[in-house]
Amino acid sequence: MGTVNLQGVHKAFGTTTIVEHLDLDFPDGSFTVLVGPSGCGKSTTLRMIAGLEPVTSGTILINDQDVTDCEPRDRNVAMVFQNYALYPHLTVAENIAFPLRATKAPRELALRRAGEIAESLGLAHLLKRKPKELSGGQQQRVAIGRAIIREPAVFLFDEPLSNLDAKLRVETRSELLAIQKRLGVTSIYVTHDQEEAMTLSDRMVVMKEGKIAQVGTPSEVYSKPNSVFVATFVGSPKMNILEGNLHANVFTHASGESWTVQSPHEGEILVGLRPEDVAPTPDPLGNASIEQVELLGPRAVVTMTVGGQKVVSVVDAAKMTSITPGTKAKIDFSPDVAHLFDPKTKLRIP
Amino acid sequence: MTRQRFLSSLRGIFLLTALVVVGFPLVWVTLASFKTPAQLNDPSLIFFGPSLINWTHVLEGGILQAAGRSALVAGITVIISAVAGSTAAYVISSYKAGGTVTRFGILAAQVLPPAVLVFPFLTLAYVVRVNDSLIPLIFAHLSFVLPVVTWFLIGFFDSVPKSLEEQARVDGFTRFKAFMLVVLPQVYPGLGAAIIFGFTLSWNDMFYGLILTPSKSAILPVAIAGFNTFRGVELGSMSAAILVAVVPVVIASFFIQKRLVQGISGGAVKF
Repeated sequence: MGTVNLQGVHKAFGTTTIVEHLDLDFPDGSFTVLVGPSGCGKSTTLRMIAGLEPVTSGTILINDQDVTDCEPRDRNVAMVFQNYALYPHLTVAENIAFPLRATKAPRELALRRAGEIAESLGLAHLLKRKPKELSGGQQQRVAIGRAIIREPAVFLFDEPLSNLDAKLRVETRSELLAIQKRLGVTSIYVTHDQEEAMTLSDRMVVMKEGKIAQVGTPSEVYSKPNSVFVATFVGSPKMNILEGNLHANVFTHASGESWTVQSPHEGEILVGLRPEDVAPTPDPLGNASIEQVELLGPRAVVTMTVGGQKVVSVVDAAKMTSITPGTKAKIDFSPDVAHLFDPKTKLRIP
Repeated sequence: MTRQRFLSSLRGIFLLTALVVVGFPLVWVTLASFKTPAQLNDPSLIFFGPSLINWTHVLEGGILQAAGRSALVAGITVIISAVAGSTAAYVISSYKAGGTVTRFGILAAQVLPPAVLVFPFLTLAYVVRVNDSLIPLIFAHLSFVLPVVTWFLIGFFDSVPKSLEEQARVDGFTRFKAFMLVVLPQVYPGLGAAIIFGFTLSWNDMFYGLILTPSKSAILPVAIAGFNTFRGVELGSMSAAILVAVVPVVIASFFIQKRLVQGISGGAVKF
């Protein structure tokens, strides 16, 4: 059982605001990812929940208990740091068992429990090694083991995969998810990698400049981004934003090209298009010039310019035969896939 | 290639010169300690039948007791310095306690000539009636050993990631326990070097000893100076006593030389 509630949590260093009056609830057993560009306050938020950073104002509740002024040790949370923070002078077994020393558990019992956890993480043969004798992935798992042994109310992860290479990161990601589902412990995970956020979370919290930009399930955030910031931050390659005018369901781009878009809105507008929704068809009279084609196995990323603006499209590699750099194409998209944003507020138009 | 060979022979000559400059007095003192007073008159005498007369004289004259007192003073000084110095160095490194001024200003007291401090120490010792005892001497030695030990350890603590302490705090420990169980073990090599270095500093000091413990609780350097009598310098005995003082320091230096360079270059424990 572990719920976390942030009520008006605010953090400032002097006149610089890092996190601004954050209200956020983390339900029991949920896996929430805080995601955003560096400096958006996501790590500071996590550190405030851990008790490593005092809050300037606001309240933090863990299991409905006010822990705002509690020391980290009194919060019943476990944390995995980006650099794993394994104790270099202790063996794998001692590292995993270390939190039990704080509870004054008998050494034998602590080491036996550490052995069981190591076994479940595939570390049983490494128990007597020191951290520097382990690979990055193994160190990572030791850090997770050390978090598990406490049976905490909440797991906190601070970019735990960013020091791993790409292949290992994907593997560890699914292992982590499996562990979290098995234990059912409320988890809060910080990352700047939107792809990681999309694959791991039940719920994504996109942050920008110390504030929440959007909260929702990954598919909600992806399919209905509430602002240009979220739209371009989530998804890779990022969403194309075209500037133009909308009149009687016809969107006219600054370049003069026009498409049908269904919306009662009239006037200046920003149209957001996911790269996979943009379909270029070879056409010598088309307005789009193909600049670059990157083949990524079954798919290809096509970069074009339309009226001086870059537009990126993701297409099936099989359909790529006649699309080559230097040729012309016509861009099409279905009227219902366009995301519409107000050019002034940069917010979504419903 | 020729240039490299030239440089390497130049380095060889330099090292050889340094070895002679450092080693010659030691060899001379060692030889002198085994010479009879008559043999001492001939400094060029290298091969001779060794005599233990100087050693007997020195050992019976209480040099070991003086060495014991020196060791006691250095031991207590260095224990206090290690405890206070490691905690001070940690907060200066990790919490920027006292700011940059403290970090670099901690050695400022070293610039003061000891003469400035010795009379206040002497007066205080008289006032509290502990003059000519080891207590004021320990305090005097702390005035220069503690800052050096602290300064020396700051660099080592700088290289310990802050996340280790934070991890231990999240793992259920108090800040102090986290320091003791997790942070301090990372700087043990540095702490060991600082202890030996601080011990040597205290062991070698003569000035404070001469004024604060002039007679009944004389420490080793003062006892050695005692061989410079009104009848002249008792060279043989003094040489034996000097060896008693020097040998432990040479052995200690051998063990800490690598760490000493690390400490001076700002700590280099890698994680």
